[in-house]
Amino acid sequence: MKNYFFKAAVVALAMIVLVACGGDTQQVVEEAAQQVEEAAQQVQENSEEIAEQVDQAAAEAEQAVEEAQEAVEEAVTEAEEAAEEVVDEAEEVMEFETSITIWADDTRAPILSELAEGFQNEYGVGLVVEQVADINDQFPIAAPAGEGPDILILAHDRIGGFYASGLLAPLDLGDTAGEFLPVSVDAFTYEGDLVGMPYAIENLGFFYNTDLVETAPTTWDEVIEVGGALVESGDATYAIALTGTTYDMFPLQTAFGGYVFGQSEAGYDPSDVGIDSEGMIAAGEFVQTNVEAGLISDSLDWDTAHVQFETGEIPFLMAGPWALDRIREAGVPYGIAPFPTAEKEGQPFLGVQGFAVNALSENVLLAQTFLTEFVATEDVMRQLAESGNRPSAFAAVASEDPDLVSLGDAGVNALPMPAIPEMGSVWGSWGDAFTLIVNGEQSAEDALTNGGEQIRALIAGEELPEEEGEEETDE
Amino acid sequence: MAVQALKRFETGDGQSATLSNVVIRLVLLLAIDAFAIWFAVRAFGEGYLPLGIAIALIAAGVNYVILVKEMYPIRWMLLGLILMAMFSIYPILLTVFVAFTNYGDGHLLTKPQSIEQITKARFVPEGGSAYTWTGYSNEAGDYALWLQSENGDSFLAFPGQTLIPAAEATGLGELDSEGIPESVGDYERLNAFQVASDQNISTIQFGSELDGVQIRSPQEAAQLQPKFAYDEANDIINDLETGVSYTPVEGRWTAANGDELTAGFRANVGLDNFTRFFQSPAFRGPLVRIIIWNFAFAFFSVFATFALGLAIAYVFNDPEFPGRKIIQSFLLIPYTIPSLITILIWRGMFNPQVGVINRTLSDLIGIAPAWTVDPWLAKIAILIVNLWLGYPYFMLICSGALQAIPGDLYEAASIDGANAWQQFYKITLPLLLVAVGPLLVASFTFNFNNFNIIFLFIEGGPPIAGSPTRAGHTDILISYVYNLAFAAGRGKEYGLGAAITIVIFVVVAVITLFQFRYTKMWEEVGEGV
Repeated sequence: MKNYFFKAAVVALAMIVLVACGGDTQQVVEEAAQQVEEAAQQVQENSEEIAEQVDQAAAEAEQAVEEAQEAVEEAVTEAEEAAEEVVDEAEEVMEFETSITIWADDTRAPILSELAEGFQNEYGVGLVVEQVADINDQFPIAAPAGEGPDILILAHDRIGGFYASGLLAPLDLGDTAGEFLPVSVDAFTYEGDLVGMPYAIENLGFFYNTDLVETAPTTWDEVIEVGGALVESGDATYAIALTGTTYDMFPLQTAFGGYVFGQSEAGYDPSDVGIDSEGMIAAGEFVQTNVEAGLISDSLDWDTAHVQFETGEIPFLMAGPWALDRIREAGVPYGIAPFPTAEKEGQPFLGVQGFAVNALSENVLLAQTFLTEFVATEDVMRQLAESGNRPSAFAAVASEDPDLVSLGDAGVNALPMPAIPEMGSVWGSWGDAFTLIVNGEQSAEDALTNGGEQIRALIAGEELPEEEGEEETDE
Repeated sequence: MAVQALKRFETGDGQSATLSNVVIRLVLLLAIDAFAIWFAVRAFGEGYLPLGIAIALIAAGVNYVILVKEMYPIRWMLLGLILMAMFSIYPILLTVFVAFTNYGDGHLLTKPQSIEQITKARFVPEGGSAYTWTGYSNEAGDYALWLQSENGDSFLAFPGQTLIPAAEATGLGELDSEGIPESVGDYERLNAFQVASDQNISTIQFGSELDGVQIRSPQEAAQLQPKFAYDEANDIINDLETGVSYTPVEGRWTAANGDELTAGFRANVGLDNFTRFFQSPAFRGPLVRIIIWNFAFAFFSVFATFALGLAIAYVFNDPEFPGRKIIQSFLLIPYTIPSLITILIWRGMFNPQVGVINRTLSDLIGIAPAWTVDPWLAKIAILIVNLWLGYPYFMLICSGALQAIPGDLYEAASIDGANAWQQFYKITLPLLLVAVGPLLVASFTFNFNNFNIIFLFIEGGPPIAGSPTRAGHTDILISYVYNLAFAAGRGKEYGLGAAITIVIFVVVAVITLFQFRYTKMWEEVGEGV
């Protein structure tokens, strides 16, 4: 019995060696497989003869033959599989002289991988899709070291830092530029140069519970009126769910006239900080008054706010497309409406997702060609839009999902998230000011004035004269 | 040198090495050296100065240790030393090196890379023409372009020949709907990808010197001229279009009027990062308050974890205690779960509205403390979480240390009439501190810089009202500085970050040194018993 196994193993090994040696592998394998089968048959025949002569020995032999046959078959399939793999690999390596490497996040990578085969077959250029989790952190380190991709996926608010560092090659969309939403192209334009090609936009929408509220309120006073009535009747715990982040509160703040940076022709102006502007303070007062009246929770938390909307405890929530899945799963009946107004129309921040070309790549022209000739087509843009749960930045790809249509409508007036690096100085102090307002520790005016000063000090850095010492430190 | 070394190998250390042994060693050493030289030269060539120096130093050290007889014992630690150099000392040196540069957003490239990027730029001079292009190639791999200008004129362009107007061109194949021929003589039409796959395509000049064009984008070919030229002798970049010169100033190519070219480079900025840090708004913030809380947080964390750990260990030191092994194993659980997860779970439990703690409290006794809003409650909550995370460590340490205290000391004490408290206070504690003292110091140092719990649990909040810089009631030094230096400002600044790291290292080192003084005192107590 051992003998058969040994022979089978030798044959299998020999085949694997043959396969590994390359050449006309398929044929070699087939020949080898045939030989093995013949040998196995011979063995079987022989053993059957013996079986006729000696019963006991025959039974044993038969069993042995069966096992041997199985082993041989197994070896054959294994060898064939191995051969196929070798052939596949050889094909992959051999076919493309040049290839494009893309870094994509976990949502986009599978779609691009699917597209890769079609692209490779059509144009004879390889497409390698690498799924990278923290592109924003990896890229500025990898690119100067020559390890970067040819193309990366990023959000438009990072282009400022990357482009100023010389990491992104400008793009020329040519005639296709007109096919993108203008606001998305603007977002990817930095100091007059287009440095990325947008594919999706994202912004908040105003969600309301259609069970509790028949028609969406159009003004913030109405929101409080309708929500307040529900609180009084015991149908809701609060009038509106706020998540506590200033990003999510921005449509409320802009409705009262608040802004982050003033806008000039050149874009956002970091010397004009609007955190302590009149409109922002008015928005702060609106929030504080309603917290005191018990219509807005006094401890704001992103998750809590979403859960309270999803369980029908609170009728209104400002949420983005990233929350669509969880809201749908929760089964709460909802609608998405335009943002309520106060002094003016409420505007959410606009985030734009896009592709950019690594300036240090050896294939800049090829990467640009890939984007403008292959990706900027209706087909590919549609596939990117369908799986991402975001409205497309490509005008021709109108979403059929009514929620995405509503969100897209809400984003028509959206303000692009400032891409200037000074935005990094804003978030912390801005958020703290609203925390203090909600906690009731400071008046809206005090909290936001102080927040604005903190931000200006940070932006000015060391250039600010040191007027305050450490007197402020006692409690 | 090699001959001497050979002799040493032959005569050295008593166990005479055979010739083959020596040869093998030398060949191995040569291989290591060759690899190190290749690696270092590459590193230097690519502009990674510190890495190159580090490799060279490590290689020199290896040679020294292997060739010099006196260093023989070190050989056995060589691998460990190399690993330490690579993963511990090199990063520290790199941090120090980076602290004196402006490495960060806007200064990510090396100087040669920055020059290369800038000199890639090209411009269309006044009166220059731009066309849309279609590419062709023949079997020999030569290229030709079909150019179409905006006003509808078409030209055929070969490298080095004057442009041929469409009407005079010969050998044109069938024209497509846009008037572009499918072939030109033996040149076959290519798609944009086939053309773009050639990495040199955009440097080819199609046409003569007078009218030649270059490809500059998938759509456009134009009469391009280089926009910038680098003057190596004077180390300046000249703008060939406007004639302006740019000189390097702290990693930025700067013109006389202050204009800067995009893509700066990493440059040495001396002590700038340190002065920037010390002059930054961070020092106008509530520093004293933060430092007091920082010490209090570290002290109470160590005290509470040590006290609870010791108490549990003391109780379970009694071998008669029923089920002590199982209970002790359960008590170790907080130590085995990654603190990251534990902290986030506690964060959820302390949520004032939906957290399990407040739900229970309000159901039982009708109160719902505002854990994340009230400054004092937030501090207490953080200490509770840190107690949960830290006590198993001291429980483990103390169980071991308690068993090491000889039992006859207690026997003698009880004969002398000492009660349980006296035994604990006069015998157990002093003897325990000898063993545990240094660990208390280590724990203090760890907690002094315990960024994880502060940041993950509450991000330093709740905010301090009216503070001139952003600060929270539970901010410790490192989380406060992190917020100001990294979460804010002009993007990522690794240079400034490295400088701050060094400053914090100095602060922590000084504190630790002082504390080790105290542990020496404990040692004396131990010796006196």
